[in-house]
Amino acid sequence: MLKVEEYKHQAETCVRCSYCKFIDLNWVKSSRFSRQCPIDTRYRFNLYSAHGLLHTALAELDGKLEFSPKLMDALWQCTLCGGCDIRCKRNLDVEVLQVIEEFRRRCVEQGKGPMPEHKMMAENVRKSHNIYGADPKERLNWMPKDVKPAQKAEVLYFVGDPSSYRHPEIAQATVKLLSQAGVPFMVLGDEWSSGHELFATGQLGLAKEMANHNIKAIQNSGAKTVITSDAEAYKTLKVDYPKILEKSTADMPYTVLHITEYIDQLMKDGKFKFNRSVPMKVTYHDPCNLSRLAEPWYHWEPKYEPPNIAVGKTWRRGEKGVYEPPRNILKGIRGIELIEMQRVRDNAWCCGYGGGVGIAFPDFALWTAGERVEEAQTTGVEAIVSCCPNCKDILGRAAEVQKTGMKVYDITEVMLRASK
Amino acid sequence: MSIPKEAYQTLQSIVGPEWVSDDPAICEADRYCSLSSPSDEKRRPGCSIEPASTEEVQAIVRVANRYKVPFVATSTYYGAGTYCKKDNSILIDLKRMNSLEIDEQNQYAIVGPGVAFAALQGDLFKRGLCTFVPGCGGQASVVANTINMGDAPLGWRHSLGYQRILGVEWVLPDGEILRMGSRSMSNDFFWGEGPGPDLRGLLRGCAGHQSRLGIVTKIGVKVFPFVSEELKPEGWAYHTTMNLPTNRFKWYNIRFSSRDDAINAMFEIGRCEIALVVMTVPPIFRGVARTRGVGCGGFWEFWKDAGPKLSRSQTDLRVLLYGIGANKRLAYEEKVLLDIVADYKGSAREAPCRDETNFMAADAICANVVGGRFSSEVSYESINQAVRYSKVVDEITDKHRPPILQEYNTTDWVCPYELGYIAKMECLRMAAVEDRQALEDWKNDCQDACAEGGAYALVPDNKVFGPVWGNYPEKEDAIRAIFDPNKVSAPE
Repeated sequence: MLKVEEYKHQAETCVRCSYCKFIDLNWVKSSRFSRQCPIDTRYRFNLYSAHGLLHTALAELDGKLEFSPKLMDALWQCTLCGGCDIRCKRNLDVEVLQVIEEFRRRCVEQGKGPMPEHKMMAENVRKSHNIYGADPKERLNWMPKDVKPAQKAEVLYFVGDPSSYRHPEIAQATVKLLSQAGVPFMVLGDEWSSGHELFATGQLGLAKEMANHNIKAIQNSGAKTVITSDAEAYKTLKVDYPKILEKSTADMPYTVLHITEYIDQLMKDGKFKFNRSVPMKVTYHDPCNLSRLAEPWYHWEPKYEPPNIAVGKTWRRGEKGVYEPPRNILKGIRGIELIEMQRVRDNAWCCGYGGGVGIAFPDFALWTAGERVEEAQTTGVEAIVSCCPNCKDILGRAAEVQKTGMKVYDITEVMLRASK
Repeated sequence: MSIPKEAYQTLQSIVGPEWVSDDPAICEADRYCSLSSPSDEKRRPGCSIEPASTEEVQAIVRVANRYKVPFVATSTYYGAGTYCKKDNSILIDLKRMNSLEIDEQNQYAIVGPGVAFAALQGDLFKRGLCTFVPGCGGQASVVANTINMGDAPLGWRHSLGYQRILGVEWVLPDGEILRMGSRSMSNDFFWGEGPGPDLRGLLRGCAGHQSRLGIVTKIGVKVFPFVSEELKPEGWAYHTTMNLPTNRFKWYNIRFSSRDDAINAMFEIGRCEIALVVMTVPPIFRGVARTRGVGCGGFWEFWKDAGPKLSRSQTDLRVLLYGIGANKRLAYEEKVLLDIVADYKGSAREAPCRDETNFMAADAICANVVGGRFSSEVSYESINQAVRYSKVVDEITDKHRPPILQEYNTTDWVCPYELGYIAKMECLRMAAVEDRQALEDWKNDCQDACAEGGAYALVPDNKVFGPVWGNYPEKEDAIRAIFDPNKVSAPE
C-alpha cells in the first residue's frame, strides 16, 4: 500500500510523454506491433492508458473526480501487465504500476469496487480457498497415481488454483518432470489460493489472509525451495507476499523458483536432459508475471533528497525477470525451432488475462489474446509456448476463435514430451 | 462542464456513441498534455471525441461552428499547447486516424495524425528507407510534429521536418477541407507544391498553430534512402540502444580547445557536405550519457560530484559519419572529418557504434531522466546567432541562480541543420521540483533578450516578440478572423 504522499508524488511526476503506450522504441520493428498497452490500443481514449489513469488518480485524490462507471471501466480493464511501468523506467522512473494498484485499492476501500465478478471470486476464495468455488477436497485430484510426493523434502511444489482445477495437465506434467529428474518434492495438503487475483483487484485484506496461511504452511513443511509452474503464483509468492508484509523478497522464509528456472539449472549442472525429439516450430510468449513483473521485491520507506533522488531505493526495471530459462529449455530440445515474435521479453504484449480482466471482462481479454495470436502467426510457427496456465487458456481460446490451427502449449507439456 | 445537448447528440451521430464521451473521467484524462507550463490553466473538456476520417473531422468542426463550441485537436498528447483553454470545449483526439502508406520507389509516406514516428520508422527500415525522428521522441505524432517544426539532430543533412511536407489534407476552422499540393488535384500526396499559392507557410505559422487554425488530417512526408543493414536493438527497457552497422556509420567525439574552433569546424563540415549528425555536446549531455540506465536519482548522485569537474573551457562536438550508397563513402567522410579536426587543432576519438537516441527514441526525454523540473529555451537562427545568444542566456541564468540549479556554466546545445545553414540553440535549465516559478521567471527574461537580440524563439511570447517582428500576432489574428470567424479553433 502506497502512502498518500508517495502516491501523489509518483502520479505528479508523470509528464504525459506517452512513452507508456509503446514498446521500447528502439525495439519497434513495425507499426502493426509497436504498441504495448492493451487498453490504450483497444479503446484509444486517453483515460485508457497509464498516464490517463495517473492523471485521474490525482483528480480523485483531490476530490475532483469520483469512481464513475467510466472510470471503473478503464481502471479495471487494465491487465496490470506492467509494460507501462517498465517503459517509464527509461525516462522518469515513475512507479506507474504501484499507482494503478493503489488507485484500485482506494476504489475498493471506498466501497466502489472491485467489479461484481471480482467480488464473487473473493467470495469463492473466502468459502473454498480457491477462486472457482470448487471443492477444496478435490484440490489434489489431479495427482497422477504413479507419482508419489515425499512426506518431507527440500522442495515444495506450489500448484496454484488454475492448474489444480482447470489445467491439471500442467500440474501433472510438472510432477512427472520432477519425478523423472529424481527430485523429491512435497505438495501442501492444505494449499490455499495464492491470492493473486485478490492482490490484483485491491482486496488486500483477504489477500493477506491467503498470504499468511500459505507462508505458514510452507514454513511448517520445512521446505526451503518452492517451485511453481504457475507464473501468477510465482509472482505472488515472490513479490506480493513480501510487499504486503512490508518485507523484501530476500526476507521471506523460502525461495521461489519457476519450474523452468529449476529445470534449466539441472540442465546446466548436467543432472537433466531431454532425450526425445519434438519436431515443432514454436514461438515463446513471455508471461508478464514471470518476466517484467517477477523481479524480487525490495521494501523501501520513501525518502527523497533534492532534486528528486530516492534515497536507498533499489529499483525494479524489468531486467531481472525469468526470460532465458524457458528459452534455454526450448533450444535444448531436439527438433524445436524457436522463432521469436516482435514484442518479446520486457516488451512482450500481454495475453489479456491478468489483473482480474479475464474474470470480469472476458471479451476484452479474448481480444487482447487475439492480438498476440495474430503476432505469433506472422512468425510462421505452428505453436505458442508459454509458462502460465491462464496465458495458455486465453491464448488457446483466441487461437480457436481465429481458426488458424495455431496450437498453444504450456512449457511443461513440451518438456514432458521431450523427456518421456 | 458540458457542451449543448443537441451538439453532443449530433457528435454521437457522426462518430457513433462509442467514440464520443462527456464522462468526467474521460474528459479529466484529456485535460493535460505534455510540455506545457504549469502556470497554464488547463480546463477539462466538455467532451472528448475520436473521429476516424477527414470527413468525420469536418463534420465535428461544423458542429463546433454551428453551436459556437471551441475545439482543440490532439493525438499523442505530447505537445505544448494542445489543451483546452476555454470551458466546455471539444477535445478532438485523432488517435484513430492512423493510416499509413509508403511509396518506396518515390520515397514518401502518407500518414494520418495518429501515426507515431516510431511506427513509421519501423515500417520504413524494412524497406531501406528512413524518416527523422524528432528530438522529443519516436512516440510523437508525425503529422503534429512535422507541421510544428520537426526538429531532430538527424536534420543535419535533410533539414527540419516542416521542409518535408508534401500533399496536405486540412480541415479549416470553419469546416472547409483544404487540399494542398498534388492532393488538391487528385488522391495523390506526392507534391507539396501545386497550382496557386503555396500555403504551407500558412499551415505552419511560426511553429505550428497548436490547432488554432484547424486540423490537419493527413499529410505526405518525404522519406529518405537508408542503409539496408539492420540496426540491431539491444538492452533492457531502461537502457536500450541500436547497434549501427560499422561499415555504414561511425561516431566521433571531438574536443576543441575553444568554442570558436568548434564552431568553425562545424561550418567546415557543412561546407564539405559530410555526416548525418553534427552538434555540440553540453556538459549535462555528457553527464546523461555516462549515467544511462541509472535513472533520475542515479544521474543526480553522479552530477553532484562529477558535474563540477567536467571541463567547460573546451567545446565538444559529436559527429555521426554516414556511409550510405557506396562502400568507400564512410572512409571518405572519415578522412574529410579528420582533416578538418586537424585544421582546427581538435582531438577526435571514435565512439561506440551504437545509438540510443536518434533513430527511434530521443534524448530530449533525458531532460526528464534528470528529474526535477526543467525549462528549455530554444531559438532557431544561424550558427553565429546561436553562439551569441547562448552567451546571453548564460548571463541571464547567473542572475537566477539559485534557485535555478548550478549547471556549472555553458550547458547550451548548438544543433545545426541543412549542413550548417540554420542552427538550434537549446539550453536546458533545471530547478528542484517545487521551483516552477523560478523557471518561469528565467524563461521570461530569456524571451526578452531573445527578441532584443534578433533571435527566433521556438515558442515566442507574443507580447514580447510582436512589437519587434512587425506585430505578427495582429496579422495572425487577422488571418484567423478570416478562417475562423466563430473563434472556435483552439481559442485562447
